[in-house]
Amino acid sequence: MDELYLDNIDEYVNDHNKIVTYKWLSLTLGVHVNTAKQMLYHYLEHKRKESSPQLHATYLVSGKLEDKGQMCHKVSVVREDQLEDFKSKMSLIVSVHVYSVQKALLKDSGPLYSVDYDAIKDNLKNCSRYSAIRCAGAVPMSAAELQQVQEIQRAPPSAPENKKSAMNGDANIASKPSSKPQKGIMGMFANKSAPKNQDNSKEVKPEPKEKSPVPEAPKTKPAAKSSPMANFFGTQTKKPEKPVEKQQEAQLAIASEQQHQRTTAEEPAAVQLHKETKADSRSKSKRMEESDSEEEKMEKKKRRRIKKPQPDSSDEDVIPDSPPQMKTSEPSPKKEPETVQHSHTSSGTKIRRRRKVLKSRTFKDEEGCIVTEKDYVSESYSETEDDFQSTKQAPRNNNKAKPTSSSKDDDKKTQKKSSASSNKGSKQASIMGFFQKK
Amino acid sequence: MTTLTRQDLNFGQVVADILCEFLEVAIHLILYVREVYPSGIFQKRKKYNVPVQMSCHPELNQYIQDTLHCVKPLIEKNDAEKVVVVIMDKEHHPVERFVFEISQPPLLSISSDTLLSHVEQLLRAFILKISVCDAVLNNNPPGCSFTVLVHTRDAATRNMEKVQVIKDFPWIVADEQEVHMKEPRLIPLKSMTSDIVKMQLYVEERAQKT
Repeated sequence: MDELYLDNIDEYVNDHNKIVTYKWLSLTLGVHVNTAKQMLYHYLEHKRKESSPQLHATYLVSGKLEDKGQMCHKVSVVREDQLEDFKSKMSLIVSVHVYSVQKALLKDSGPLYSVDYDAIKDNLKNCSRYSAIRCAGAVPMSAAELQQVQEIQRAPPSAPENKKSAMNGDANIASKPSSKPQKGIMGMFANKSAPKNQDNSKEVKPEPKEKSPVPEAPKTKPAAKSSPMANFFGTQTKKPEKPVEKQQEAQLAIASEQQHQRTTAEEPAAVQLHKETKADSRSKSKRMEESDSEEEKMEKKKRRRIKKPQPDSSDEDVIPDSPPQMKTSEPSPKKEPETVQHSHTSSGTKIRRRRKVLKSRTFKDEEGCIVTEKDYVSESYSETEDDFQSTKQAPRNNNKAKPTSSSKDDDKKTQKKSSASSNKGSKQASIMGFFQKK
Repeated sequence: MTTLTRQDLNFGQVVADILCEFLEVAIHLILYVREVYPSGIFQKRKKYNVPVQMSCHPELNQYIQDTLHCVKPLIEKNDAEKVVVVIMDKEHHPVERFVFEISQPPLLSISSDTLLSHVEQLLRAFILKISVCDAVLNNNPPGCSFTVLVHTRDAATRNMEKVQVIKDFPWIVADEQEVHMKEPRLIPLKSMTSDIVKMQLYVEERAQKT
């Protein structure tokens, strides 16, 4: 009887080539998690003695670690080859046990999450049935309570960060012993990753930043800290939190010049805290920050599709052309040569919009002097990847038509503007934006 | 319960969309797991509620997207029999082949709510299997590259050559060297049958890789 489980595990690991985690095993065989852990351990010992085909294992290590002068409790899943190394770094080891056994050497931890996903989804109501973590006060909230709490969360998006960090401190301590069976996977993840987040956000803070005002530090925390909060309030609040985070991020990016550092710092924290990072929102925040720096003169807005035309006093002389749809640049044969920039190709399947863009025009006035004027011209553009080509073409066309050197600055500024504004259409953060802005 | 006959075109599009999304994720994952490209270009993203590795390199992404864009009309009309991701060594001889066999299930129907989550679950299982496939495969030699071949039914390829679905992205008939593999070993990975699609994934690898 006792030896049957060895055969079971053997079947899963070798024949089905599955990753057997202790959680999955306990749910599948209907045993307590501690029993499952021991089963895996014995299986591993057994197989290693028999020198059968190579098996790999991952371990869960939890203990106290001294990190930059602060003691923190760290819980990590490590591969077998990194186990001893990791253990030696810890000052006190609270627990070590087998997390999973599999045939393949895993390159990253993604599959470990996937393995348990379906098993837990099927047992959502009682996934902690076999768990060793208990808290009498941890009872799923009723629907009404949940709604109330969600409304409170949404109403003040920029709630005082100090309060938040204080709450988070308590939340962290509270979330460890408590288990929320309703939250299922998220709950499982919060318990493990909440202490990890604390470490990571602490690592983010002391990172050297040239001008790092004190309020920045607690502000980075709520971005990373939303995870324990979210876990109390369910997964629904994660979405309103994310745009809020990004908004805060964007605003702070303007305040300090640390955009690049910030995004790289946020990324490791964000990747650690939840296995779900949406790359779209991340690249969007990068793009926003880039274009923010480029458009320092303009009003800072989150969506820049439509620009408010600013009044220009010298407008009367020059009649702005509404540009045609084809990509052309024609120096006018008239006495007042005007250069008009057209930035985008027309292509039937893509969306077209009109917007006002700051453009500069050089022309000869009555006295024969060359005058450059900046003006808002409405032009149509389409949201496409053609933005790339068009930004390359626009500066080229400009160079062809402009005769003087005095207008070179304006030239570059318009290049900057058109490249910055057209970048908004492209889906990926463009590297060209770096090269063209001056 | 909508039947197939009335909404043929929409149905084909839905299936093709789902499959192409899945194939994109699968191709990225294969490139990651088989180490065709250095793991530094990959980034963790979420699909079907689980973490997957996708590449950040814009040209690679564009290439894969264009490839699947062209494959989509074939799947819509049920002309694509197999989509094969071939990994080739430096001399352009195939070393490994990941074959996705796609066919229409015997009972084709779109019924309701649980369909998509059921399909999602099955696709998740595929993703998981690809992640652990290197347990059953030998290591590839260094300097590999990859390509995508599509085996179609009947004469669908003639249409493809006539009509360029994407400009400057021509599809040509694969030559013998790229298709033929010496002494292939077959390793089945996963198969699934759902209401909208039947798919099988297996790997053929060359007996001697280096």
